[in-house]
Amino acid sequence: MMKKNTITGAICLVLALAIATVTGINFIELKNPGDIIPGPGVSEVHMLSEYFDGIAGTNGDTEIYVMQGKKPGGKVLILGGTHGNEPSGYMSAITFIENAVVDEGTVYVIPYTNRSGMTHNDAQEASPQYIHFSNKDGAVRTFRYGSRATNPIDQWPDPDVYVHAASGQTLSGSETRNINRAYPGVENGNLTEKVAYAITQMIKAENVNLTFDLHEASPEYPVINATVSHEKGMSVASVGLMELQFAGISMALEPSPVNLHGLTHRELGDYTDTIPLLMETANASQGRLRGATNEALALTGIDKAYEKSAELGMLYVPYDENGHPIEERVGRHLQGIIEYTKSYSEQYADAPVSFSNVPGYAELFTDSDGSDLGGARLGQYLN
Amino acid sequence: MITLIYRGIIGLVLVFTVWNLFTEEKVTNQANAALVVIPMILRLLMIK
Amino acid sequence: MSHELIIFLAMVVTFAAGCFALKLPVSISMVLSAVIGALVGGQGIPLRHLVEGTFSYVDTVLVITCAMIFMKVVQESGALDALASLIIEKFHKVPALLLCLIMLVIMFPGMITGSSTAAVLSAGSIMAPVLMLMGIPALETASIIAMGGLLGMIAPPVNIPAMIIGGGIDIPYVGFELPLTLLTFPLAIFTVLLFGYKYVKKLDYEAIKLKLNNEPREKYGFRIFIPILLALVLMVLNKAVPSFPSLGMPLIFLIGAAVGLFTGNKIKVVTVCKDAVQSVLPVLGILMGVGMFIQVMTLTGVRGFIVTSCLSLPNGLLYVAMAVAIPLFGAVSSYGAASVLGVPFLLAFMSSNQIITASAISLIAALGDMMPPTALAGIFAAQVVGMKKYTPVLKKCLIPALVLIVWAILFIIFANQLAPFIVLK
Repeated sequence: MMKKNTITGAICLVLALAIATVTGINFIELKNPGDIIPGPGVSEVHMLSEYFDGIAGTNGDTEIYVMQGKKPGGKVLILGGTHGNEPSGYMSAITFIENAVVDEGTVYVIPYTNRSGMTHNDAQEASPQYIHFSNKDGAVRTFRYGSRATNPIDQWPDPDVYVHAASGQTLSGSETRNINRAYPGVENGNLTEKVAYAITQMIKAENVNLTFDLHEASPEYPVINATVSHEKGMSVASVGLMELQFAGISMALEPSPVNLHGLTHRELGDYTDTIPLLMETANASQGRLRGATNEALALTGIDKAYEKSAELGMLYVPYDENGHPIEERVGRHLQGIIEYTKSYSEQYADAPVSFSNVPGYAELFTDSDGSDLGGARLGQYLN
Repeated sequence: MITLIYRGIIGLVLVFTVWNLFTEEKVTNQANAALVVIPMILRLLMIK
Repeated sequence: MSHELIIFLAMVVTFAAGCFALKLPVSISMVLSAVIGALVGGQGIPLRHLVEGTFSYVDTVLVITCAMIFMKVVQESGALDALASLIIEKFHKVPALLLCLIMLVIMFPGMITGSSTAAVLSAGSIMAPVLMLMGIPALETASIIAMGGLLGMIAPPVNIPAMIIGGGIDIPYVGFELPLTLLTFPLAIFTVLLFGYKYVKKLDYEAIKLKLNNEPREKYGFRIFIPILLALVLMVLNKAVPSFPSLGMPLIFLIGAAVGLFTGNKIKVVTVCKDAVQSVLPVLGILMGVGMFIQVMTLTGVRGFIVTSCLSLPNGLLYVAMAVAIPLFGAVSSYGAASVLGVPFLLAFMSSNQIITASAISLIAALGDMMPPTALAGIFAAQVVGMKKYTPVLKKCLIPALVLIVWAILFIIFANQLAPFIVLK
């Protein structure tokens, strides 16, 4: 006869395997970040691996949406989804792909820059797995809410200490999977470094003039509602910033620190001819002081824990019962892209870029009476 | 390469965890071991 | 009463009921508490969240398990006996120094695994007879071992609470070595001399000599120490030479263990591995439980509630709150206390040097291992000296514990003044 503890052991093991199976299926399903329906402006879709085949067939390879203008001109690159837990970054890129029509020059959009980061969520952060929008036809569009870093199953284990290859800068081991600490990238490095390398190669190959990297920050983080610019972007950024302020957007301009390495606004500026600009909006769902964590928090930013933190004076953005809805954040990014591109095209008139049909801050946010904020209004701009 | 080695280490820990799961006398200790099995197996298979 | 407070209370009550009323293992009580928290928070039983929460500790599980395998191999090979006999032979004429060295040996497994349990159960159980041979009573011996385990867990190179706290605000675990050394070693010396010195002032070496196990040292000579030295060299190489491929602690421990199979007494490798995993399973289970517990706290907003509540205290009270709340929460788990409360307190002391502050908070978090019901360090220390109850050990350790808290708070207050001298990056 079987011993009693063999039977109970078998039951425990079967239970564990059952839980692993159920949750495992769920984790595998996260590999699809959500379909993008290109708008009329998209002329071609390429893969990043076409610029560096070292990432072909990996979870790091990602789509590049090419939007060719009728007239020749300069080239702009929009990087969304550098960090998968910063939804306004990739939702701005997707809204651009689904709406914009380019008149002069070419716009390249990479909605999921660190595609691997879109395929998982961070432990203990309790992030929502998906965000949903009802589009103009009433159909539901589903997108992933991802992680700040590359999926560990694509790159594991982390070293104890991460050494940035080009500078020797050291950071905590988990930053090894943060693509915005990996630029200009390493040809034979880990997956994150390879993807960064591929993006650098792409910028060089296409002679991209102006690059946007779209981010969000937690409300208690000092660099927020800000544009961070490389030295060579300062004149473009300062003119564009004035236009943004006329549009009612409070935005700070921060120079890229010269001793902070691996970030787009530092390394893409140093290693390529592009002008890199990085923009930050306020996202409660990635903050440390946040309350209950769910899809609503990611889309509305409404959070009484952050209201309390604001009263304690711990935040770098105003915070009230209206939160910071996704429309405000996407609107800031898109208006930023509009104004900085205009400012660039004025200063570099030999290689201008212009486009139309991109919803800005007013269309997405200030024109609303508030009732359709938190996803419904943005959904009206999705195909 | 290093990933394969670490998957090997995970496999090692998993094997001995499951063995202990069966040799533990108390059900609660078996449940404790089962708890450890879940993430180990998901990482061994590179699912999570 | 806010919704979050209700959820939190439900979780705490469930945990206490699991531990005390139902006498369940700490890990299972934490899982139950996480499930109840999710239910009360209206989340059902969120399997995905429960499982996802455990993934914070996958790498930690490997470090602890591989370290324990290494310890067991080193112990069975005779290397620890050899170390004890070497230490006593060389230093019996200077008993104060000898006590300090014994303390170092007790701390060592904690220093490399970040687990006080590992230290108390391995080196602690080996040093216990040595200390008692030298004339130190059982209670004092147990107290030395318990505090040694605790301080070993905080001493560099591996300090998991500090890694957890630092990781919480994205500061790398770099430059912690010296602050942690200064935080722990003076306290270790103080504790071991406080409890032991008066008994060992006049030491009878001839009598002790007869009871030491000199055999491994005589039989194998220097080679008995090779696995320990190799592990040390690999750790240093990994840290000091960036071009050296990063092996990681688990692999280093396994390499050390593999070499240890051939440098001393014969070892049944399968049995050793099974025993090692068995002895760490309770700790691994607790880590899994803590992962679930914290994920549910984040999901339901309890984490934010606790954080904002702590941070809204006035400045002077912050120190008191920290000294009370962190060890109290440590009754659940010192790692859990480090994550849930350590990070927000670090944020609250944002103007102080973060590395020193995180180090000091980790020291306070270690006290959680002396807090019933888990009280891992106290329970195991009493066990290894053959005492039936562990409460006398906890009472005995009250003085060093209070000194520890004051010491840690002093470091936080003077963090910015100390930083230029002790934070080397």
